[in-house]
Amino acid sequence: MKFSIYQESRQGPRKSNQDRVAYCYSRDALCMTIADGMGGHLHGEVAAQIATQFISEAFQREAKPRLADPFKFLLDSITNAHHAIIDYANVRSLLETPRTTCVACIVQDGLAHWAHVGDSRLYLVRSGRVEAQTKDHSRVQILVDAGRVREEAVAAHPDRNKIFNCLGQMGPPRVDLSRRTALRHGDTILLATDGVWGPLTSRHLCEELLRNDIVKAVPILLDMAEARAGKDGDNASVVAMTWADELAAEADWISTVSMDPTHIKTTMEQFGRSKPPPGQAGYLTDDEIERAIDEIRNAIRKHSK
Amino acid sequence: MASQANIPLPEGYQLQTYRITKVLSAGGFSIVYLAHDEGDQPVAIKEYLPSSLALRREGDVLPSIAEDNLATFRYGMKCFFEEGRALAKLSHPNVVRVLNFFRANETVYLVMRYERGRTLQEHIQQRRGSMKENFIRRVFTLLLNGLREVHANKLLHLDIKPANVYIRNDITPVLIDFGAARQTLTAEGFKLNPMYTPGFASPEHYQKRELLGPWSDIYSVGSSIFACLAGAAPQAADLRLEKDRYVSATKLFNGKYSDQLLETIDWCLQIDHAKRPQSVMALQKVLLRERDPEGPSKRSFVANLRGTLVKLARR
Repeated sequence: MKFSIYQESRQGPRKSNQDRVAYCYSRDALCMTIADGMGGHLHGEVAAQIATQFISEAFQREAKPRLADPFKFLLDSITNAHHAIIDYANVRSLLETPRTTCVACIVQDGLAHWAHVGDSRLYLVRSGRVEAQTKDHSRVQILVDAGRVREEAVAAHPDRNKIFNCLGQMGPPRVDLSRRTALRHGDTILLATDGVWGPLTSRHLCEELLRNDIVKAVPILLDMAEARAGKDGDNASVVAMTWADELAAEADWISTVSMDPTHIKTTMEQFGRSKPPPGQAGYLTDDEIERAIDEIRNAIRKHSK
Repeated sequence: MASQANIPLPEGYQLQTYRITKVLSAGGFSIVYLAHDEGDQPVAIKEYLPSSLALRREGDVLPSIAEDNLATFRYGMKCFFEEGRALAKLSHPNVVRVLNFFRANETVYLVMRYERGRTLQEHIQQRRGSMKENFIRRVFTLLLNGLREVHANKLLHLDIKPANVYIRNDITPVLIDFGAARQTLTAEGFKLNPMYTPGFASPEHYQKRELLGPWSDIYSVGSSIFACLAGAAPQAADLRLEKDRYVSATKLFNGKYSDQLLETIDWCLQIDHAKRPQSVMALQKVLLRERDPEGPSKRSFVANLRGTLVKLARR
């Protein structure tokens, strides 16, 4: 497989970042996940973390280096992530189960497979046009389908945040599966939370992706989303991947051909990050840095003679 | 561009007394530049810049570090200091030499002597393994001189692999990249990215890190020699711990190399750390021993003959 990949998550003006993004790949398969913990519910970020981590870990276990059945993997891992969230709430006797949206995409054999729950989206952009897109599990989407709200008005609709399907809800979530879609050279798959697609239109996405490669385009899109949303902005997160022919000349793209078939690379924001508290062992003050440098420079001088 | 990566300092950038010439390599933890000092001598400069914590954007010199990441960024700096400390004490022709260490651009830099040549990894890739025994013995005997010096200073390299062995144009090796090197292993038990490379890392790298010792570097040396023959590393140690599928070098390369070299590889690659050579000296002794007077070519003839006879006998 050959591809370029980029992910970024921004907190925006919110008090915490409840979005989570992750990707991992083996020699033969790629897995991208995005989850948006639900703000109105307690521990939204916990639910989002459990979902991305659970799916990534399942991928690490099963993609050795291929998944037997990508759709079955998506269905099982997302459903199991839902149960893991419920278990988490039960063990801690939480009053309310944490909830999250989730989109996951598997690429294997040059074919994309995806599944979603809630209103985080996946776009497949081909030659500057949206080739495929997930349909939100939201009340306002039902109105759009019924022709009562225009697509462009979704972001401003008062019901835009009301979703009827998510992980952590009462009863099993409905996992919508995509069609198996063959990727072409230059196709971009972009997973985004509503903090991104809300303030932007699909035209913004397509135009920016035409102009720049994803490594440049995604930060620009996030800037745009932040600027357009202003102080009412939300957490905004994207993981995007551009597909290349195996023989394409993009030398610095990720090529998995030479990978050890048992190896998997994972990129995920760690929960709360392993941050040693200031003042404790491990944290360096400016003084300590200066002292360490002096010590090294002295050792160099002493041993150069 | 590839995945999320830091923008390197631009060509011609003046970093204290050094002028940046180009990027030599970029990893998740640091960027290595070729630069020239005031006397126009080439040097290699390693910049601490973990891409998960600090991001330098196009056109910027200072990386932006989110408030949240500052503590972790500084914590990771400790590993970088550890590398500087380890190298500063070592002055040996087969170990990369540190020339300077300084702070700038809100991060830290390690200046090393620039060596001309190629990594052992590149040699292996070019030849797809099957290197000459003489070359292997020469390179590893000299390399072990360097490693002996490292161990004598109570340091472990912990990431020995062909990509970290640089072969100068005069075929002398230099051990590079002490990014994983640790002084004493109890020292706060670094939680930050225990670094290792599958296939080259010893079983102790994966579990029971308290057992790490000279024998762990020796395991990696064994894997590296194995890679010179096979073109790839042996089965990763963590998988070997689950189900050992390592086929002994003695079996795989019978007749192609001297038995003694093959037995030495198998000896280094014992899963049980106590069964490996316990010191670099012990290993060097074997590598330095005169090669079998019969030589590999003759042996292979005998071995082939033996193989044919066995086949015939089975009919």
